[in-house]
Amino acid sequence: MNETDRRTFMRQSAGAMAAVALLPELGLARPVRLREPVVVGVIGAGRQGRAILGELQKMEGVSIGAICDIDERRLDAGVRRSQGAEGFADYRAMLDKRADVKALVIATPTHLHRDIALAALAAGRHVYCETPLAHTVEDCQAIARAARGSSGVFHAGLQGRSNPVYKLAWTFFRSEAVRDPVAMRAQSNRKNSWRTPAPDPARDREFNWRLDPAVSLGLAGEQGTQQFDVFHWYLGAYPVRARGGGSIRLHADGREVYDTVHCGLDFESGVHLHYEATLASTYGGEYEVLHGTNASMWLAWTHGWMFKESDAPTQGWEVYANRQRFHNDQGITLIAEATKLAAQGKLQEGIGLPNPPLYYALGDFLRSVSEGAPVVCGADEGARASIVGILANRAVVTGGTVEIDPSLLRGG
Amino acid sequence: MGTRFEVVLWGGDAPCLRACAEAALERVAELERRYSRFRPDSVLSFVNAHAGRRPVGIDADTFDLLAACARVWRESEGAFDPTVGPLMRAWGFHGEPGDPRDAAACVGMDGVLLDEASRTVRFTRPGASLDLGGIAKGQALDEAAAIVREAGVSCGLLHGGTSTVVAIGSPPGESAWVVEVRGSPFRVALHDRAMSVSEPSGRVVEREGRRLGHVLDPRTGSPVEGARLACVVGASAMETDAWSTALLVLATRPKGMPEQLTTLLPQQESGWSVEGPESRLFWRSDPDDRAGQESP
Repeated sequence: MNETDRRTFMRQSAGAMAAVALLPELGLARPVRLREPVVVGVIGAGRQGRAILGELQKMEGVSIGAICDIDERRLDAGVRRSQGAEGFADYRAMLDKRADVKALVIATPTHLHRDIALAALAAGRHVYCETPLAHTVEDCQAIARAARGSSGVFHAGLQGRSNPVYKLAWTFFRSEAVRDPVAMRAQSNRKNSWRTPAPDPARDREFNWRLDPAVSLGLAGEQGTQQFDVFHWYLGAYPVRARGGGSIRLHADGREVYDTVHCGLDFESGVHLHYEATLASTYGGEYEVLHGTNASMWLAWTHGWMFKESDAPTQGWEVYANRQRFHNDQGITLIAEATKLAAQGKLQEGIGLPNPPLYYALGDFLRSVSEGAPVVCGADEGARASIVGILANRAVVTGGTVEIDPSLLRGG
Repeated sequence: MGTRFEVVLWGGDAPCLRACAEAALERVAELERRYSRFRPDSVLSFVNAHAGRRPVGIDADTFDLLAACARVWRESEGAFDPTVGPLMRAWGFHGEPGDPRDAAACVGMDGVLLDEASRTVRFTRPGASLDLGGIAKGQALDEAAAIVREAGVSCGLLHGGTSTVVAIGSPPGESAWVVEVRGSPFRVALHDRAMSVSEPSGRVVEREGRRLGHVLDPRTGSPVEGARLACVVGASAMETDAWSTALLVLATRPKGMPEQLTTLLPQQESGWSVEGPESRLFWRSDPDDRAGQESP
């Protein structure tokens, strides 16, 4: 970015901040109120499907017309929690019978996305697909090809790109505020087994697909894809190489899929992303950090902070910003509508997004469907990020280095 | 709910048990996100923000929960009332006090209209709001226990904040889980049963030099001394949770209380009263008491 571009960005960023403060309804974290109502179908009523149903119910202009799941209990629970929804055990029957369901959200296990996405696109439906889009490079490319050939909206569920905190941080990243990237790291720490109780031992593999090495992308693919994409988006670049490894640190219950992984992604510019994920410790949770020559950013999905270097130029606005102390560092809180919140006396330590990041990703999809808003994260971005996740997992599983052929990310 | 939930499960397959407990606690967290009045993105906050202006469509689970609130409110003659929040605030039980007369005008579950045909909720009183703190913990434990049972686990104990507990089966070699009711000399034997214990929060409000009681009576809008403890045993934790809250206000078992619930309440003269079809589950644990020499 040249100096003129930087100045333009600075002006745009300052303008966006002012607009957020003056017109909260137009702000980054505005509630979803669709101008034209949309009937939505949700395929997959497991953990993620339930979360999706919960977020859709908060939106104005959205009705849940149909829910699909092959498991009767999950389907019943989903239907009970969704006013007016019809239940289906087979997504093809749902597509055939409910022509009024124009928008579909796919929240099944990753390896089942491809067939459903292709059928939904062929039936002329708008599709939101959870990421990773698929468990193989070929399936990711097939979904991207089908989306390109469809007139409908295809939104890949990479939530960082819709997240108001991350969008606000992106404007700073692209200005003088952070300047040249020095290093990057991210983690996803939690403490659980990644197992789901199956109603019948014979169905254990179906319910515990994340622990099945044949279809699971492991922590690097299933968790990492979302987080890697934050760096793809900010840098405008994809990695050229992945290295990795992993082990079982806590859940030695016969599983083969690692409960603790690390991997490194090299970018052509020379900057490096270090990633760690575990199911054996909650410390630090999930976040991404970008170190720049002027400032560093710590992004934690519902919260974000910027840490300025002492020699970084003062930009003015940060004088009034909310701050939090972290040991020897002082973080400036990155929060949309900061001025409005300050006026209401609500700007306090730890303030974050009013809704989970999923809400904003679904909202962007439905605005594209209802109002023709530009697609925030299309199939190509989704496929590229998913392919990086697949190859990062390959590096973790083999404990070696995997070159990422740029031609894989071009699609086709 | 802002409290600690714990799950103890017994069985042969440790990884499966862990997965069951994780799924159960995950459901509790999910319900907390749905029904917390402190979360701006909860279903309850949405209802509270909009139901005063228009009927708000709600899902079947939320409708059933509000219908259960209305049922216990009716049966307890208004002693359990999830609309009491404004009054609690006005009396200074939660934060800065206000005018209780103004607050009383918006309290009353009869001002919450539930329409089953359209599955909507609407407030008819301006300023009304719902607080499900007296029932949501029990509902969360019922759902968590259902997940555990559906996974084939037949032995476990779940509790929320040590005030509501659900027993699944009984420990190996025992006929029941034995739970002590702190603040009383009783222990209770629970086998596929739920139990809730309510106590006053301990907060005493001072108004014009007078020390007022611990418990607010939603029917009169004024603090009362109430019971110093109320314990209810039944099949559903949602029901025992709501009824233990109501009995704290009433201090005696009302006529309208479902017969299948068993209650433990302190008495002025005789010490304690245990009433209900399962009173045999309660026994005194003090050594001087003849009935307390052995467990059932």
